[in-house]
Amino acid sequence: MFEDTLALTNRFLKKWIRNPAAMMPGLFMAIFWLALFGSSFNPVNLVPTQIGGTTLSPVLVEQIKAAITSVFGGAANYITFLTAGVITFVVIINAAYGGIDIVLDRQLGYLNSLLSAPISRASIFFSGVMQNFVKAMFIALLTFIVGFLLPNGLEVGSGFGVPNLIGIFVAFGLLTFGFSCLFTSLSYSVKQVDSLVAIVNFLAFPLVFMSSAIFPLGNFPSWLKGIAEVNPITTACETVRLLVVNGNLSPERLSTFAGNMLYLVIFAVAFAMIGYLIARRALKAE
Amino acid sequence: MKNKIIEAEDLTKIYKSVKAVDDISFSVEEGELFGFLGPNGAGKTTTIKMLTTLASVTSGKATVASYDVVKNPAEVRKSIGMVPQELTADDELKGIENLLLSAKLHHVSNASARKKAQDLLQLLELEGAAQRQVKTYSGGMRRRLQLAMGLIHEPKILFLDEPTLGLDIQTRQKMWAYIRQLNRENGITVFMTTHYLEEADSLCDRIAIIDSGVIKVSGYPYELKSKLGATILTLQIGDGVDISTTLSAIKDVDQVEKEGEVYRIKLGRTDALPAVVEAISKSRLKISDINLTKPTLEQVFLQITGNTMRDGAANGDSYGQRVLIERLK
Repeated sequence: MFEDTLALTNRFLKKWIRNPAAMMPGLFMAIFWLALFGSSFNPVNLVPTQIGGTTLSPVLVEQIKAAITSVFGGAANYITFLTAGVITFVVIINAAYGGIDIVLDRQLGYLNSLLSAPISRASIFFSGVMQNFVKAMFIALLTFIVGFLLPNGLEVGSGFGVPNLIGIFVAFGLLTFGFSCLFTSLSYSVKQVDSLVAIVNFLAFPLVFMSSAIFPLGNFPSWLKGIAEVNPITTACETVRLLVVNGNLSPERLSTFAGNMLYLVIFAVAFAMIGYLIARRALKAE
Repeated sequence: MKNKIIEAEDLTKIYKSVKAVDDISFSVEEGELFGFLGPNGAGKTTTIKMLTTLASVTSGKATVASYDVVKNPAEVRKSIGMVPQELTADDELKGIENLLLSAKLHHVSNASARKKAQDLLQLLELEGAAQRQVKTYSGGMRRRLQLAMGLIHEPKILFLDEPTLGLDIQTRQKMWAYIRQLNRENGITVFMTTHYLEEADSLCDRIAIIDSGVIKVSGYPYELKSKLGATILTLQIGDGVDISTTLSAIKDVDQVEKEGEVYRIKLGRTDALPAVVEAISKSRLKISDINLTKPTLEQVFLQITGNTMRDGAANGDSYGQRVLIERLK
């Protein structure tokens, strides 16, 4: 099964590499969100320097700005806070739209060729998951680099090192894997690209907005906060922020980190199982 | 007697409310080239899908290479090669990459796959295009590549669903030659569907004609044509004498029609021809034109299906349309 999965994943990735234009929308989405949204919607920019003709003292202005920045959980600026959110958003969208290749395989008859070959349905499903995962993680890496390159962009805490980087990408990886499983199974279940796009729009945007991806949970209405707190996107974002902002983790933070990672592992395994069950049903003889 | 390598017994497929295949029974012998003919939406592709484990069986039974398609689909898949009517070779991959991927998915070892790929590329005259992406291929090259993909693992049975659909006559004839060669030299059993009746006539050892989900007739092409009976002899005799009565009296002359100088004589057996010519000669008449038309498979097809070939959903044939719609759902 592993060799079949690998062979089919290679096929998807060869197609992707040979068509670099397909990577562009994901990358541009990341740049637009970080550079444009991150700069123009930075809440710190809302602090006025004058009220009713009275000029506020620069010290007061800086104090208000510092108070606002403090809600970002210790992030040096909004882009540092936003980067984790943008990456989760971009990986979910990429993991979802990667399913278009799967829908096209069904429409063009390629899927039937696979289904009449002596390979397991699991290898067909997991090759779809892996191609979505690899594509999404590549975009995640590029987005992270973009965050660093932006002026007044991503700032890491002192002591940030390779272990932090590994932790960040394991957290993103678990989230991406879980959502890849979900969207891959849905891609095998629909017969039209339009249906997949509708499902992605219906699921991806609310999932991101009902999390701490764009804004901290502190000011969320209580009903939304409850949902956001169990949303794995929130867990992934908070884990990444923990690792970005704090170079070295204190024992207390290390325990939070471990709890979050366990939650993400459970999420990834659960969604792999659910996704496989959905896909197996979709791939059975018509 | 040869083994029956494919057997269908009361095979039925119902898509929701539509019976796409209705209680059909047939068998294919090992090494046979079997043709499955019928208008669009008749049930050909649904039958192939059931035999290749792509569609479930509503009722009845089918075995392929001695394995039950419902109870043992994995073994069936190991025994078959499938060449669908859609062009399914991956456009972005090179010809050789498509072939090797197909080999890998059928668990052929790397060394053996490379050797087999080279042989097939040579046989199907694709060697020069092997390193090119499939998107640069013509329709004929794609069909040949698909045929190679269906053969790379040396299956016992090859299923061909409309293998020459959309090809020009030259390419079609080449495909026929390849299929014939594979069947005769390698002993592969071929189960093929086709729209082209001359293709079935030229290639197939035996055929079955299916319409509205039911097998209407099956047998050897010559047998079906001779059952249709009539060989038509057309003669032009220009002496103004009517010899219809004389001709009608000849054994195996079933019917004589005269229109001007032209006689249209329906012969029960071709053997009656010398007697007809002799009778004309004895009457001291001169034949100025002669033409003998044997029954074609197309005539058999039209007599059985009662239609010219239909285009399913395209021309409003309601049965075909309903089957296609249910299948797409």
